Order: sequence, then structure tokens, then C-alpha cells
Amino acid sequence: MRRLQKAASVFTGGTLLKKIIPYLLLVPTFFVIIAFIYAPAVNSFRMSFFRENKFGTKTMYVGLDNFEKVLFDPEYLQIASFTLLYVGLTVFLTVFISFLLALLLNKNVPGTYIYRALIFIPYAVSPAIAGSLWTFLLDPVAGHVNYLFTNIFGTQIAWLTTRPYAFYALLLATIWKMMPFNLIFYIAGLQSISSDLLESATLDGANAFVKTWKIKFPLVSPMTFYLVIMNIISGMFQSFAIINVMTSGGPGGYTNTMMYKVYLDAFSYQKTGLASAQSVVMFVIMAIVTVIYFIFGERRVHYR
Amino acid sequence: MKKFFVILLIVSLLVTLGMAKTKIQFWHAMSGWRIELLQNMANDFMERHPDIEVEVQYTGSYQDTLNKLIAAIKAGTPPHVVQVFEIGTQSMIDGGIAITMQDMIDKDPTFDMAALLPQVLNYYVVDGKLYCMPFNSSNAIMFYNKTMFEEAGLDPTNPPATYEELLEACKALTKKDANGNIIKSGITWNLHSWFFEQMLALQDAPMVNNNNGRTAAPTEAVFNNEAGLKFVKLWKELSDNDYMVNTKKEDWTGARKLFLSQSVGMLITSTSDVAAIMDGAKENGFEVSAAFLPTPADSPQGGVVIGGGSLWMIDGNPVNEEEATWEFVKFMSETEQQIAWHKGTGYFPVRKDAITQLLNEGYYRDYPDHMVAILQLLFSKQNSNTNGAIMGIFPEFRNTFEDNIERMLNGQLTPEQVLKMSEETATELLEEYNEMY
Repeated sequence: MRRLQKAASVFTGGTLLKKIIPYLLLVPTFFVIIAFIYAPAVNSFRMSFFRENKFGTKTMYVGLDNFEKVLFDPEYLQIASFTLLYVGLTVFLTVFISFLLALLLNKNVPGTYIYRALIFIPYAVSPAIAGSLWTFLLDPVAGHVNYLFTNIFGTQIAWLTTRPYAFYALLLATIWKMMPFNLIFYIAGLQSISSDLLESATLDGANAFVKTWKIKFPLVSPMTFYLVIMNIISGMFQSFAIINVMTSGGPGGYTNTMMYKVYLDAFSYQKTGLASAQSVVMFVIMAIVTVIYFIFGERRVHYR
Repeated sequence: MKKFFVILLIVSLLVTLGMAKTKIQFWHAMSGWRIELLQNMANDFMERHPDIEVEVQYTGSYQDTLNKLIAAIKAGTPPHVVQVFEIGTQSMIDGGIAITMQDMIDKDPTFDMAALLPQVLNYYVVDGKLYCMPFNSSNAIMFYNKTMFEEAGLDPTNPPATYEELLEACKALTKKDANGNIIKSGITWNLHSWFFEQMLALQDAPMVNNNNGRTAAPTEAVFNNEAGLKFVKLWKELSDNDYMVNTKKEDWTGARKLFLSQSVGMLITSTSDVAAIMDGAKENGFEVSAAFLPTPADSPQGGVVIGGGSLWMIDGNPVNEEEATWEFVKFMSETEQQIAWHKGTGYFPVRKDAITQLLNEGYYRDYPDHMVAILQLLFSKQNSNTNGAIMGIFPEFRNTFEDNIERMLNGQLTPEQVLKMSEETATELLEEYNEMY
């Protein structure tokens, strides 16, 4: 027994071992990350230089052909510009609306907890289910939205199959789904603003508008910074489920995004090389966005 | 005592080894209640063959199943038998990963290929060889709401047979309110390229060259022809006049819902929906009947193309497992199973004797619409146009075509442009595909 204790003390006491132990403990995590994230990522870089047939029985090195095909395809450029519009609008609107709602939810009106709970619920719903839900609501024949529209305005709209309504429907569903995540952060952020600041501002004669945009908004700007990045990522990558369920990129490819196109090429048409090239393009875009934001965003963000 | 346990362990191991069952995996793409139905069929099989264990797995949609198959093949762990959709036929042949079904049939004198419906075989026989076992087959059919027909002053015993009559009937069925909103409309089919393919074959026109890809790999799409144009123009005319309600892409449920809620008077859908439509009509209190698909009055007569799926035996498994798989595939195509499958799903039986037996049972008296479906298939002229195109690019072609149809419905393209652009894209895709084989 004593010998064992001695061994243990050597084990924990040894400076070399002390250094190694954290790494040893990280091994399982790294193993998982390498197997499921880094290895596939490296593989998709490699695959972007190849063309492969469906069952992988023939592989052909094509150099930069896949990239050329992607970047000089007018359809892809149109998809890219739609993605930009979609991500830009959803991120802006989500952050803006979330901030305003957070302000409201921070006023201690009776029933705040109920409102909060109701507004947070979409966060617990998976994107695919959120998509199905909105598909139901926006159904041209049996949907509730059109029932209201017919009764109030006397018009029917084919929400998911006509331009530009399919885009509006997607915006609505995506914002609805992304908002709760932003709200949680904003409510926490607003609650941590000391009331002294606001009180002194009131004494100095600041009105509600000034207090909101000159004091509260700058004080939660680290939050905004973080949320914008997270929203861009989720708009770029995770909105896939909503688009797949609601419009499948239709009508006529109008709501096709870069992510959905990767899915189509990889898993519907089995063009793995082309899809890999597209993921590399998306990787580069995301890398640029992140770097730009960290360089320029950092300066403006007010950290306390 | 210890020794005794060791001996017991070894003996029991040896015994179980001797009884070891041959395990085979069956992957399918049939969702919902059909998962249980297929499991029950496999259970019956295992009762008859106690030495074989069939693992039935629902692997998602046809497309998901194909993706999983591709992944399994690349990983070197192929399943034994997989259900593949009809448009995957050419890819499966080109992939060279399956055992040609003809080889198994030729080895087994107990299996008579002539028992299968020739119309079904003709789809899956390529270059004189049957590549897979037909299993669930269907084609397109039209349903019409007799009650709505009567209300609109149409003859409920005389459904439209030509495009011209269809337009007239739809005009009579369509009703709008004071604001111009549609209350009732004429017809719907879900926005699916399959209907275009059916309508081409019905007019005896080809999709791709080399006899629809049946004499050699197709190199060029040729569906920008008169027959194709007539159908796409009809589609536009019906939609522009609100005689037709369009759904989202490939939204079978949506189209069915429109018909069953009596928002439209006619529905073109798959024959595998026959039971669902007949039951749904009863529930919603209207009379329904099935009819042959309409064609232009002056067009040559062709026929309908087989859709659905078939069973493929995947290569690369041990011989004893291969034999067990063949037993299972054979079992699934037997009369009894085909009848159970037909009654449970609506896909029609792929065997002649199954149809005879249903006829003798009086089944078609109770379900006359199933008879319409079978007759439409049997009346079909048999040539490469009606046997259906086979090409490896089908999924992408369909998506391209459907995109273009959606653009037409949104007023961005004319029917002529739809066909021209889709044909050009399809030819490019074919060229690209052929480079890889």
C-alpha cells in the first residue's frame, strides 16, 4: 500500500509527468475531433482536385477544374449572391429584433416569465421541425396564414412556390428560429448593465432613445460582436434544414444557397469533387469573414 | 468444478457455431407502415429458412439508401440486398458493384422468369440481361372526383381522355370568388419530372438517344420534341388559367391533400396511391374513379413507363451468404408475397399469377381502380420509348427540369425555353457522365 502511494506521489510529483498529463487527458477529445472534423476537412481539400464516379470505382485528377467550374458558373454566382443577401438580412434582422425584444423583456412587466418562455421555445425546436411547422402554416390551401390573408386582404399567396414570397417565408422562419439564441444573450447582457449608469444618464436629461442607443447598445456590443459571428455561421451552414424542408431551393433555384448546393451536388448527384470544391470556397469565405471581423470588429467593440 | 465449466463453455460454443445462421442484410427505402410490412415478410422468410437471418433496415429515402450504399461500398462492407429506385438502374449497372440477377436466375432451374410481367421486365432488362429483381412497380394514373364532375355538369362516366377534353373539364370545374381567388380548380399533379417522362412515353416519344439508352449509353438528350412541347404547353395553359394548382417540387402528399380536400377535381399520381385515394375519398364523402392518362387527340399511342424500385444483390459477399440472399430475393418475388405487398401498399404485383389469383378472389370487383392501373400498363405498346429511358444522370436531370418548370410557372421561361434549356443541360450532363465510365 505504501509503495503504491509512493508511486502515486512520484507520478503526480514528477515535473515531466505533470506536463504530460494534461495532454494525455486531451487525447480522447483530440481523437474525436481529428476523426470527425479535421480528417474529413483535409479529405475534402484533397477531393476538390479530383473527379470521382458514383461508386468511387474511377478517380481522375483534374487539378483546378472543379474550382473553375464552380467559380465561372453563372448559376453558382447567382446562388452566392442570394446567400449573401439571405445571410446578411437574417443576421441584421435577427440581431436588431432580438435587441428590441430583449429591451422589452427586461422591463419588469407582469408575466415577463411567460413571454420569455414562449419566445424561447423555438430554440428548443430542431430546424427541420421548424421548417415543417412553417410549411404547414404557409400552406396555400390548408395553412393558417393564408386563411387570415384571405379573410383580411382577400388574396391568396403561394408562399413557398412563387417569387419573391419564398424568400420572405425563408427569412421569417430563419429569424424565428435564430432569435431566441440571441435573446438569451441580450437579456443577460442588459441585466448586467448597472442601474447607476442609467440613473445618472436620466439625471443628465437623456431620453429613452439616447439611453438605448448611446448607453445600452454600446455596452452590449461584445455580445453583438459574438452574436453576429454565430449568426453568420448558422445562416451559412445550419439554415440548410429549413431550406431543404421549406423550399428545396425553389422555385426554380431561386432560394438555393451555397450550403444547399453542396448538399445537392454531393448527396443527390454524387459529384463529390465539385461539392468539395464548393466547401473549400465556403471555407475561404468564412475564414475571410472571421479575420476581417476580428481585425476591424475588435477596435470598435466596447469591452469593459 | 472449474474444468466442468470450461468444457461446458467449449461445447456450447461448438454447438452454436454449428447452428450459426447465415446473416444477410436487406436495405430498403419504404417508410411508414411499410417498414413493418417488410419486416413481417422477412419474418415469414426466416420461419421457412431457419438457417438464414435477414436483417431488415429502413435506410431512409431512395436517395439516402443509395448514398448509404455508396458509403458502404467504399468502406468495403456492402449489404447483401438493396432496394434501388428505377432511375438508379443505369448507375448501378455502370457501377459494376451488383451481381447480375440474370446469372442467379440462369443457375436456378426453379425460377421461371416468364412468370414476371413482361412490361416490368422490359424496364430492367438491359442488353438482354435482367440486372435486378423487380419488386415494387408503379406508374402514373389519373383520378377524378365523380361528385365534383356531376356538380360541374360533366359526365361522371366519361373522364377526359385527350388534352383538349382535359382543358374543357378543368374549365368547368374551376370556380373563383369575387376577388378572383380560386375556390375550386380543375387538376393537380405534384411538380415532378416523372409525369413529363410518362407523358412522353404515352405519345411514343424518346427521352434520350441510342433508343432511350437501351442499345448503348446515351450521349444526347432528345426530349425537346413535339410530344414534350405539347405536354409542357398544356402544363402552362392549365396553370395560367388557374385550371391547375401547382405544388412544391415532388410534394406527393400536398397534391393528394388538394384532391382529397376536394379543392381540385382531378389528380395525376402514382398507382401506388390507389388504396390511399380510394379510402380517402370514402372518408371525405365523395365518389372517385381512376382513368387512363390523357394524351393529345392527334398523338401516336405509346404507353406508360414503370416506376418504383427493384432489389439488387450486391457483389463482394461470401458465397454462402450470396446463396441465402438469392433465396430471399426469390422469396420476395413469389406470388404470395407479391399479393401481400400489393394489398399493403398499392404497388402492383410484378407477377402474372398474382394478378390471376387476385382476379379469381374477386379483388378487382371491390377495388376496380387497381384494375384500371393494371390495364393501363398491359395496354401499353412495348418499345424503347415506353420501356423508359435509362441514364446515370437521372436525379440531376430531374432537378434541372423541375427548376425550369418552376421558372416557367413564375413567368420567367416559355415552354419552348424550358425544353431547350433542359435538353441542353441534360446533354452536357450526359457527356460529363460518360467521361467517367
